[in-house]
Amino acid sequence: MSDPLDLVVAQIRDVRDELVPLLEEARAARLARSEEPGADSGAVCAWNHFENIPTFFNWNNRPR
Amino acid sequence: MALVNGMRGLSRVPSYVVMQPTTLCNLDCAYCYLPLRSADRRMSVAVARAVAADGNEWARHGRFSVVWHAGEPTAAGREHLAALMAPFSAGVEQHIQTNATLIDDAWCEFFAARRLRVSVSVDGPPDCNDDRVDRAGRAAYPRIERGIAALRRHGLPFAALCVVADPRPGLAARLYDYFLDLGCDTLGINVEEREGVNGRDNRHDAAAVRAFWAELAAAWRARPRLHLRELEWSLRYLDAVLSGTADDLLPRQLDPIPTVGWDGAVVLLSPELAGFTDAGYGDFSSGNVLDRGLSELLAQPTGTRWVGEFVQGVEACRASCPYFGFCGGGHAANRYFEHGRFDGTETEHCRNSKIHLLEGVLDHVRSTRPGGSPDPRRA
Repeated sequence: MSDPLDLVVAQIRDVRDELVPLLEEARAARLARSEEPGADSGAVCAWNHFENIPTFFNWNNRPR
Repeated sequence: MALVNGMRGLSRVPSYVVMQPTTLCNLDCAYCYLPLRSADRRMSVAVARAVAADGNEWARHGRFSVVWHAGEPTAAGREHLAALMAPFSAGVEQHIQTNATLIDDAWCEFFAARRLRVSVSVDGPPDCNDDRVDRAGRAAYPRIERGIAALRRHGLPFAALCVVADPRPGLAARLYDYFLDLGCDTLGINVEEREGVNGRDNRHDAAAVRAFWAELAAAWRARPRLHLRELEWSLRYLDAVLSGTADDLLPRQLDPIPTVGWDGAVVLLSPELAGFTDAGYGDFSSGNVLDRGLSELLAQPTGTRWVGEFVQGVEACRASCPYFGFCGGGHAANRYFEHGRFDGTETEHCRNSKIHLLEGVLDHVRSTRPGGSPDPRRA
């Protein structure tokens, strides 16, 4: 019997074929929005894409 | 499977501090959590100096930000806000979360001169802002719109936070179109939470919330010009799962995110707890920066009883929730205001803003399959 904690990961892997194109589109969109390292301007202060927005626009651990 | 790593205990160095320049807000939004928003209790410069003593040092070693919030910061006036900002070095990023209603040309010049990063609170088109009113019950939207127009006139980039009281299909695409036209570069969607003095029920039909997020994902995908917080973080997790790196995704420790109230009192983890007292937990404060330095207050965070209980709650989430790798654990204020304690696990907020979000994004992904195969668990 599978571990209940694995259920979410399993369903993500199940949609890999459909998910990969979306992830590639998201990467291209970030480049188009100039969210690459070194572009430090605007509310999105690019630096590291996933940690680039401190405060309420960060996700962990208080997405407010 | 092995338990997900990350979020073990609290970091001693925060990435940002929330500062309350005044308790006052010129609006009286129906869903607001702030208990003292009709009073104008102002932070002293001594409090700002005390925070800057540590903040300036943290900024020398890494990225550190101050967020002026928890009341309407512009209600403190430019002169006072400037005095509070002055002790912070140029290396400290300064942010403001504002309702935008008081923003005019002079405020825009103030923001630009101080490189203040602006985020506005607006809930979408005019009819989505019915909860945003002043004390006379007048709609705030025309003033919000004027303030945002001033930002645009001055070419100032801005982010937006949108509260959604009733997430449902049909709304998400309309909201996304609105924010595309508004001109913000970053958007965060906050499904309304039951916390602070806002006791409104936040239970929603699961299918409706999930459909809201799926629709938002589709709208974003069609025109991905905004950094949409919820989508970016969902995709980040999904990408990590596919690449086998999800276990390294969460921060190693929780960010303590101190909120420094107008009087210097420090509340960790959730600004929504500031200003409240509980028979068992006291005033939730971990001390006052006028008595002890912020770094000293952060040295023993679990010395504050409720914080220790919260850390136990995070561990309970880790051990029981299959979404932990995505979420990192339920938030303190949601636990307290929904459960009355901090060591519980799943909250309505978890469901509305984490679980249904991830499931909604996956629903969108499934809909792109030939024939649009639904979630097998719902078939």
